[in-house]
Amino acid sequence: MSGRSRLVVLVSLLALLATAFGVYAQTTPDENTLVIGQSVDVGSLEPSLVGSRAEANIFGHLYGTLFDITADGTLAPYLANSYSISEDGTEWTFTLNEGLTCHDGEALTAEDVVYTFQRAANPENAFTGNTVGFVFPSVGYVDARAENDLEVTIITDRAQSEPLRLGLLSEVYLHCKDYYESLTLEEAAESPVGSGPYRFVEWVRDDYVAIEAVDPSAPSFDRIVWRVIPEASTRVAELIAGNVDIVANVPPDQVAAVDASGVAAVQAVQGTRRMYVGFQFGEAFADSPGYDAIQNTAVRVALQYAIDVPTICSSLLGTECTRASSMVNPPNDNPNLTPYPYDPAMAEQLLDEAGYPRNADGVRFEITLMGPRGRYLNDANVVQAIGQYLTDIGVQTTVEILDWSSDYLPRVREKNVGPIFFLGTGGSTWSALYDMADLSAPDAGTNYTNWNNSEWFELWDSTAGTTPEEERELINQMLEVFYNDPPWLLLYFQPDFYGVSNRVAWQARRDEQVIVLDASLAE
Amino acid sequence: MMTAYIIRRLLQSVIVIIGVTLLSFLTLHLAGDPTYLYVSERASEQEIIDTRQKLGFDRPLPVQYIDYIGGVLTGDFGTSLRARQPAMELVMERLPATLELTLFAMAISTVIAIPIGILAAINRGTPFDGGIMLFAMFGQSIPSFWLGIMLILSVGLGLRALPISGHVPLLEPLFAGDFQTAFANSGDALRYLIMPGITVGVFSLSRNARLVRSAMLEVLSQEYVTTARSKGLREQVVIVRHALRNALIPIVTMIGLEFGFLLSGVVVAETVFSWPGVGRLVFNAITQRDIPVVQASVVLFSFLFVGLNLLIDIIYAQLDPRIRLR
Amino acid sequence: MTEGVQKQPIPNVGVAVLHGSAAQPSMSEWKRARKSLLGARWPILALLILLIMAVMAVFGPQISPRDPNRQSLIERLKPPMTANAEGVVAYPLGTDALGRDILSRAIYGARVSLAVGFAAVVIGGLLGSSLGIIAGYFGGRVDDIIMRLADIQLAFPFILLTIMVLVVLGPGVGNLVLVLGIGQWVTYARIARGQTIAQREKEYVEAARSIGAKDLRIMLRSIFPNVLAPLIVIASFNVASVILAEASLSFLGLGVPPTVPTWGGILAESRDNLLGGSWWLAVFPGIAIMLTVLSLNILGDWVRDFLDPRLRGR
Repeated sequence: MSGRSRLVVLVSLLALLATAFGVYAQTTPDENTLVIGQSVDVGSLEPSLVGSRAEANIFGHLYGTLFDITADGTLAPYLANSYSISEDGTEWTFTLNEGLTCHDGEALTAEDVVYTFQRAANPENAFTGNTVGFVFPSVGYVDARAENDLEVTIITDRAQSEPLRLGLLSEVYLHCKDYYESLTLEEAAESPVGSGPYRFVEWVRDDYVAIEAVDPSAPSFDRIVWRVIPEASTRVAELIAGNVDIVANVPPDQVAAVDASGVAAVQAVQGTRRMYVGFQFGEAFADSPGYDAIQNTAVRVALQYAIDVPTICSSLLGTECTRASSMVNPPNDNPNLTPYPYDPAMAEQLLDEAGYPRNADGVRFEITLMGPRGRYLNDANVVQAIGQYLTDIGVQTTVEILDWSSDYLPRVREKNVGPIFFLGTGGSTWSALYDMADLSAPDAGTNYTNWNNSEWFELWDSTAGTTPEEERELINQMLEVFYNDPPWLLLYFQPDFYGVSNRVAWQARRDEQVIVLDASLAE
Repeated sequence: MMTAYIIRRLLQSVIVIIGVTLLSFLTLHLAGDPTYLYVSERASEQEIIDTRQKLGFDRPLPVQYIDYIGGVLTGDFGTSLRARQPAMELVMERLPATLELTLFAMAISTVIAIPIGILAAINRGTPFDGGIMLFAMFGQSIPSFWLGIMLILSVGLGLRALPISGHVPLLEPLFAGDFQTAFANSGDALRYLIMPGITVGVFSLSRNARLVRSAMLEVLSQEYVTTARSKGLREQVVIVRHALRNALIPIVTMIGLEFGFLLSGVVVAETVFSWPGVGRLVFNAITQRDIPVVQASVVLFSFLFVGLNLLIDIIYAQLDPRIRLR
Repeated sequence: MTEGVQKQPIPNVGVAVLHGSAAQPSMSEWKRARKSLLGARWPILALLILLIMAVMAVFGPQISPRDPNRQSLIERLKPPMTANAEGVVAYPLGTDALGRDILSRAIYGARVSLAVGFAAVVIGGLLGSSLGIIAGYFGGRVDDIIMRLADIQLAFPFILLTIMVLVVLGPGVGNLVLVLGIGQWVTYARIARGQTIAQREKEYVEAARSIGAKDLRIMLRSIFPNVLAPLIVIASFNVASVILAEASLSFLGLGVPPTVPTWGGILAESRDNLLGGSWWLAVFPGIAIMLTVLSLNILGDWVRDFLDPRLRGR
């Protein structure tokens, strides 16, 4: 075979490539459509089965709730316009707006709200996740009852701080009885009919979910497409190419590239998620090196001075962030507490005084720091950096990084992490107690450190049924206890980076939710 | 004889598939309690106990497995823990997208590899040969995720020549009998397919090109080719009729074993290119311990593998008359 | 399944090796090998590169300029050859996102990456060839069982098994080696089995048996050396593919933990910095992987050609 046939092969190869490459036109979304890229798909469109941010984001558009947590983090009436509380604080009666309907035209009345709650709680449906697993036990849900068409009573077993309960109930997505009663659970998971401003159009698993505005004349976008783009670099590339309008979790080191693209810009918002290093008090790690040292309050206080949080933020998170002074998000925190500064000399001095001087090899004691990867902003790097800072003051730290979902999360839930471990926990701007509920009881599922400060938990129990002023006073006292006998090494409130196309006017929220009801085309 | 052979092989594959499910079942359960992945961020002890019971993880392992196999025999592969949908349905729904990738990769690793391998062999020692072999060497030494990201940044974002990520269905409408949609989609589908397809296929393309080249070199030096030449047959005829046929044998063998290998590339490429296929489904299912979905995909893939290899053995027997099926 | 057909399985290698002479190399063979190797330009270059990599791996702690895990956040993402205030180049290949020295990490990375590659191949090779020889030697029921196991393993997509095992056991160097090694045994087993069947009836085996040698002794002394050659060829290709597999698993978050530097791990980590312009994070580990894999392939090719008498001299 000769030059000629070789040529033929080459030419045909080139021709194939040319046809493939040549005619590709850019698919920038049209002006009525907003495209959002997120890293994971929804697992299900069942409103009572919400477990992830991805689901909460989409359900927030498809379903209405009794009250709403607004973009600026306050509580506002939504499908309900007011509420009243029974004498003993256990029964809350909400008044619904008139003329509500679900997307199939069915009227949404008190009966439907009762159905929503009872369906979620029904053990036969075997629902798991946020509604049944977190909201219901947190408010002490017992039952729901319709008083008339517009009034619905939620019955609980306890009195509770008002904003806390309102905020929790704002996470229950309301739906209509007749439609959902006619479906099997399998059908319900794929064909949602909601009560919110957008209705469901189409879901191609692991590809996209499309929803459209119920009222096309509303100023927001007519159509929203939630695309699943797992790889961060791909997400950002799609944003810069103009194919996607909003992406969450832009890696800090790609922020500059987005800003320089001229197509999109990054919005950095101060999130509400509290990031911390937990000190394990549980017996599981009693034999690990360093466990004894961190049982000493003076050591835990000393270590607060060892970490240069501002530098971690500016270099690894790509933004300035304020160091936390407590587990509560500002402005609900205790204003009298100042965050521990970065002062390694102070840390060393306190450790000397606590009885942990440097040995001949410069080591005070050894300890293992566990951390996840693939969950929080730049988590693996932050954990390694913390390990370096601790090592620098003579606490020889071995960093152990585990995969989040398969390894770390189950261990956290079993309280089997330590002796020190890196973790984040979602917070709020509308209730200090919501932020503190991680440590609501020594045996609370979320008391991952097994902290057992009796003063804290006594104060916690005394918050029920107090006036807002009394509550505030108790909260301040508790945060002081927390500050002086820290179960956590306080780090920062996690910043969030949203890449937003210049063609879109939208303000990112602080609570990690992507709600675009007020997004529009930029001028 | 052929029928008896096929039946026997199919019976053997039942053993294989039972072995495969047992292996994956044990592995996933050894990982500890999957319950924690199905409770909310702030789950209480009670919620965890309730959830464990709802998901059926509180039963003894052998009971769970026997239950499962009983279901499989009646065509019930269980329900996905996460999606609450029939597991096999979820997998089948995603299969066409993955097949598009694998078939494309297989296509380039044969349709392109065979001619360039032959050309390289015929032109042995020339710069053409050197160039092809150098390319093939590089193709075999670049990690696929890396190639994928580079393609996105250069061809997708830099040149804007191809779409960066996503998927336009082609096989799915085709399987559903909707030829009109399939045809209308075909142009876009192909454009979306090129970069992920190359990412999956380039390793095999490179290896096969080298394989064809060395097989060709070997065949070309053999007596019957020399005889054919001396009989005055035209060079093209010699190559096509005698040499190629023999050089194809190692390639055909490779294709069968390749399937499992391509799948590894598929998991990576589907993640990089946001391709909604089985690779990502099963990867997520494994990390979330969604055992029914993992089982269903493992069974399906084993079945495809077994079937493909049976097919290949038959083709193989056609190619090489010395081989007999026993 | 493929066992039903009388053909040789040939993953990863050309057909040639399977028909190759498998005689134990004698002194003159070694001489011939040396001559052939020295006569070829590329294989000698490949060998040289691999030697350099091996030196880096073995003497990593002695030659690496810094502690590969020592961070310095203020010096993060320094490009290669950046001079500091005193005009000294502290980081010849630059620093990564935590301010660690890339050169030192690449040198230590050689250690882990090569160790993973070779250890996995040794495990897979030993397991596979022993099972293959046993199957081929005894035949019958033993053969059936082993080959059925091989079928199960083959039908189980390797990547799924790997991901599952790593998710279960947790990522770590040991687990990675184990799963990548076990994933390959079938290749070796099939070839060892085929070769053993061919050797079993040979005169010297018959002779050993007739003087009452034990089965184990025959397998170890007479058969193993004769099936070794083709296995070595496959092994050289497999080291390369294990190194690549390690990189892919790092990308999926299942490689070794990020505290342990490996080439694949560094490369996978670098992808978030690419759009930011920090090319050096990817380029150096990338080059290291490519050179190593390339060299192993070239050398593997050469060994194969060398062992195949029909390709000799071309």
